[in-house]
Amino acid sequence: MDGRAWRRFRKNKGALWGGMLVLSVTLVAALGPLLAPHDPDQQHRETLLSGDGSPVAPWSVPGHPLGADSLGRDELSRLLHGGAVSMQVAFFATALAVLLGVVVGALSGYFLGAFDFLSMRLVDVLLSTPFLLIAIAIQRVWDDPALWTLFVLLGLLSWTTLARVTRAKTMQVRALDYIQAARALGAGRMRILLRHVLPNVLGPVIVLGTTLVAQMIIVESAMSFLGLGVQPPQASWGSMLREGQELMDDAPRLMLFPAAFIVMTVFGFNLLGEGLRDAFDPKD
Amino acid sequence: MIAYIARRALFALFVVAAVVTGVFALMNAVGDPAAATLGPSAGPEQLADFNKKHGLDQPLAQQFLAYLGVVRCVRPSSPRWHTDPGQRGYCGLLQGDLGESFGHQEPVGNVILTRLPRTLLLGVLALGFELLLGITFGVLAARFRNTWLDTTIMGTAFLGISLPTYVTGPIFLLVLAFWYGWFPVGGYGVDPLDHVYHALLPAFTLAIFGAATYARVMRSEMIETLRSDYIRTARAKGLSTRTVTWQHAARNALLPIVTLMGLSMTILVAGAIITETIFAWPGMGSLAIQSIYNLDAPTVMGVVLVFSVTVQAGNLLADIAVAALDPRVRLGS
Repeated sequence: MDGRAWRRFRKNKGALWGGMLVLSVTLVAALGPLLAPHDPDQQHRETLLSGDGSPVAPWSVPGHPLGADSLGRDELSRLLHGGAVSMQVAFFATALAVLLGVVVGALSGYFLGAFDFLSMRLVDVLLSTPFLLIAIAIQRVWDDPALWTLFVLLGLLSWTTLARVTRAKTMQVRALDYIQAARALGAGRMRILLRHVLPNVLGPVIVLGTTLVAQMIIVESAMSFLGLGVQPPQASWGSMLREGQELMDDAPRLMLFPAAFIVMTVFGFNLLGEGLRDAFDPKD
Repeated sequence: MIAYIARRALFALFVVAAVVTGVFALMNAVGDPAAATLGPSAGPEQLADFNKKHGLDQPLAQQFLAYLGVVRCVRPSSPRWHTDPGQRGYCGLLQGDLGESFGHQEPVGNVILTRLPRTLLLGVLALGFELLLGITFGVLAARFRNTWLDTTIMGTAFLGISLPTYVTGPIFLLVLAFWYGWFPVGGYGVDPLDHVYHALLPAFTLAIFGAATYARVMRSEMIETLRSDYIRTARAKGLSTRTVTWQHAARNALLPIVTLMGLSMTILVAGAIITETIFAWPGMGSLAIQSIYNLDAPTVMGVVLVFSVTVQAGNLLADIAVAALDPRVRLGS
């Protein structure tokens, strides 16, 4: 980000709010497991479930400020651990998607030819498949889905837009005079790609990557909500939302807590992404 | 243009074929439908029986060819199969046959024919909400640019794109159905009017994201359009602001919405899967989840086929519609 972009970004109130939201949610996710007062998977059936089996309310039992979930597990600890899981999946999936998208896009845009043709057709195919359906199907047939299969899967399915944008930008930069000059000076292809092309695609990639985190949070939570993402007993915001919905009438908080975190995170990343877009590419 | 449409249709066909092949391999080679259908108590003999009955004991390539209808297939419930197990017919896609559901004990085609209209009802209602809200508020925001109205609408729209259906759906259910009782607590209803009544809340849930997106696009498109010369001319002629806004500018600003509508098929499909699950709406989306969960391969294949064709058709139709509406667009160049 150059100086002007940074100044535009700082002036953008929405972006700053988004950045703060993102920062605090990320902190919660990163430090959450350390701050969590209890084991998120341990069931305290005697102390945290009342006589009729319903979970205790917030503040009613000392040491459990947010009460318990339907199985008598400490709600606060589950929210903190769940956040770590959701953010981990979203970040790693995004990182994989960015890596794939930039590499494929830059190679396509720089070398063109058969590789470009094939990779862009692959992008077309991926972009026009029912994404969620395929992700769920793959996750279901996997025998023992671990966390890493989830983010590898999400990453592999969502690098497409990044590849398209990187490719377009690479083709644009490639035709500029100073690339010709660098080539005339004897710079190799790798050097040109890394030193001259890559810095130019960085802006759009950061913007897209930021909004992609929001999308990955949405997809991960959706899959966990449908019971085909993060597997129980492990908590994620999506699976907590699903479990909370079952007790919706008696204890709506079990649904509303994770829902609030999901919305806050997605909202934050979207705001930040929007702000970065305006900073990098001012239209007005 | 015809050549362009033909080329696009061919590509759409290719994508559908690729998806179908991929999902077929996934379901039948990686997953174990027999174990998923019969449950953990099934012994090895029952599993073998199941596989034999559904032709799952045959090589994967042959299963696939049979599914396509190129080679003869096994079909458990066909009368011929029961009377004379040795006799087999063609019963694949080429014959318009989607096979037999493992779980429902009936042809997948029939299951889909019952479910598809319900999802269409949901989708059409949702699309209606999206367009109505998106266009109206988008135009209003542009018309009253930089006022409190614009800020409110755009703020709400921004929140709208950050609200996943699995958050809004349960909250609507809780507040509007459980607490206030204005809407039914999920389900499908008994007669046509009742179906629509039951569909309102899920359709609205499904529509939030699209409506917010359309409002945002519509606003920026309108602002662009309102700057153009012909708008100034129209104003100079003395036409009222309302006429200029709605009849001259809004019409032209609609074009990107048409493209977005085509692309939004993927979102509607994904949304239907989640929304139908939340509201217990017995359509294609909940069928998709159920059948994937039970590894009911033929049903999954049917659902994937219908969804892929919908997405492809949406994209293609949007392209054609834009070309038809905007004489400046020449397809295929």
